Amino acid sequence: MKYIKTFSAIAASGVAALLSTGLTGCEQRPAQEQTQPKGAFVIIEETAPGKYKIKDEFPADETRIVLKKLDNTEKILTQEEMDVLLAEEAAKIDNGTSNLTNPDAQMSMQGGMSLGEAILASAAGAIIGSWIGSKLFGNQNYQNNRKAGYKSPSTYQRSKNSFNKARTSSTKKSGFFGKNKNSASRSGGFFGG
Amino acid sequence: MIQLQQTSPLTTEYLESLGFVWHTDSDATPYVSDQLVILSKAEAEAYYKAGNELYDMFVAAAQYVIDNNLFHEIGIPFNLVELIKESWETDIHWHLYGRFDLAGGVDGSPIKLLEFNADTPTALFETAIVQWALLKQNGMEETAQFNGVYEAILDNFKRLVTLEENVATFEACYEGWKFLFTSVRGNSEEENTVRLLQHIATEAGYITEFAYMDEVEFDENEGIFYNQEQYELWFKLIPWEDIALEEPDLAMILTNIIKNQKAIIFNPPYTLLFQSKGLLKILWDLYPNHPLLLETSFEPLQNTKQVQKPVFGREGESVRILDENITLIEGTEGDYDNHKMVYQTYVELPSDSKKSSYQAGLFFAYESCGVGFRKGGKILNNTSKFVGHLLLDS
Repeated sequence: MKYIKTFSAIAASGVAALLSTGLTGCEQRPAQEQTQPKGAFVIIEETAPGKYKIKDEFPADETRIVLKKLDNTEKILTQEEMDVLLAEEAAKIDNGTSNLTNPDAQMSMQGGMSLGEAILASAAGAIIGSWIGSKLFGNQNYQNNRKAGYKSPSTYQRSKNSFNKARTSSTKKSGFFGKNKNSASRSGGFFGG
Repeated sequence: MIQLQQTSPLTTEYLESLGFVWHTDSDATPYVSDQLVILSKAEAEAYYKAGNELYDMFVAAAQYVIDNNLFHEIGIPFNLVELIKESWETDIHWHLYGRFDLAGGVDGSPIKLLEFNADTPTALFETAIVQWALLKQNGMEETAQFNGVYEAILDNFKRLVTLEENVATFEACYEGWKFLFTSVRGNSEEENTVRLLQHIATEAGYITEFAYMDEVEFDENEGIFYNQEQYELWFKLIPWEDIALEEPDLAMILTNIIKNQKAIIFNPPYTLLFQSKGLLKILWDLYPNHPLLLETSFEPLQNTKQVQKPVFGREGESVRILDENITLIEGTEGDYDNHKMVYQTYVELPSDSKKSSYQAGLFFAYESCGVGFRKGGKILNNTSKFVGHLLLDS
């Protein structure tokens, strides 16, 4: 076996050098405070009875969804209302009746989505519905169908661009994982036995 | 029963001089054991062969997932599927290194695969450097150790350019592509693991630099930048599934960077297929009753003591040991309770006279290249201890 080595073989390698000098440049720098928007402000419009489209969305510190109804009234959805709608959507994804994961849904959704679908398709969906994310994983239709939830294709583009711009105004984007990053340390080894 | 050799511990001053600053756990006990597991050459040889065989099986299982579009089944985030397929297609997305976690192999019990940490393996510093320093400091120079991790990774760095087993042509083939090494800010263990890899890459002959994740700039058309310099090669000790879930914009940008051939990222996106414990179920489907495998299912196993664990989870969180009636025996809290789970047949880990359990961590870089151990309770977590080994012919 190649990698069972004796001392003399290893002593000639970089391990020995590292043992005598250590790693260089390991200074710990203080963590920098990052100010990245963590949420999304979403406006959803009822375009026909029971049909909804995403009118606009912007990066925001908190996630808020404003619903503009056909009768021109506006309301902010409560957390409870969002939870109920997302739970209904999750059930539809589970039993295969969700338009979001239907390959032919883009046409049928031209007239608008259900409210739950619109929320999931919006930027807010990725945040408050992250627990559903795994049900959408691997689904090629979801990204395409998302676009159908936007009032116009330009809304989708504008929305995407504004989220990108939230990080930096140049085309280069940085600041990812600025804070609250889970540890990757000692990954694995979960199961003892 | 595990056989152990007592040694004199390395001083914290010495460990820190190496850059190994995570030597003490939060309860003020040393993270590195002052004992060494005694391993025979035949046992080391068996680990070596097991790793090589398992890797071939993982490649076949990943190909099966791709061919049959089973990404959803094994919990792969949808926004990484394209990236995974893209990286799987060509050799330039070379797998740098990974770590198999194994039960058995040391006290007469058979080697069994627990999982494969293929994306962001740690315990690298301990295995490659610290356990060998223990031998050296204790005057055990004449004793061999199954530990060529440093050299194997160094050779595999060269293969990122030569793309073949032979690394002799590296100098002739290397065109000066710059290699950026990245970890998140504020975690010295991860940072120095990455800096060790940077050190090895520098010795291999690369132009290298280190940057914290929040300092790195990404442009889907131009590539990856730090301080106005472009880096064609990028190593990140950040799990791909975290990129997918926590920074979906970045996942999209990286997909385009790879498609536009502006950078090569290590470990490659497809290593997330290996990392998913859902692949353990696919492996069992493809190689039923294989001696290196434990039966694994997406549903609780019938009449079998088993372990329930999330397809992506870290530090032993959200792991449960269940008895034959699927009743909880022992479990851990964690952030992964809502994740997709797999159920793997329970296997007893080898233990010492104090009933501590030992799990082998077998490093793989083009081939099996070294082993180290972790000791703890039944469920090993981030309070488990690292234990080195020494080879004795018995």
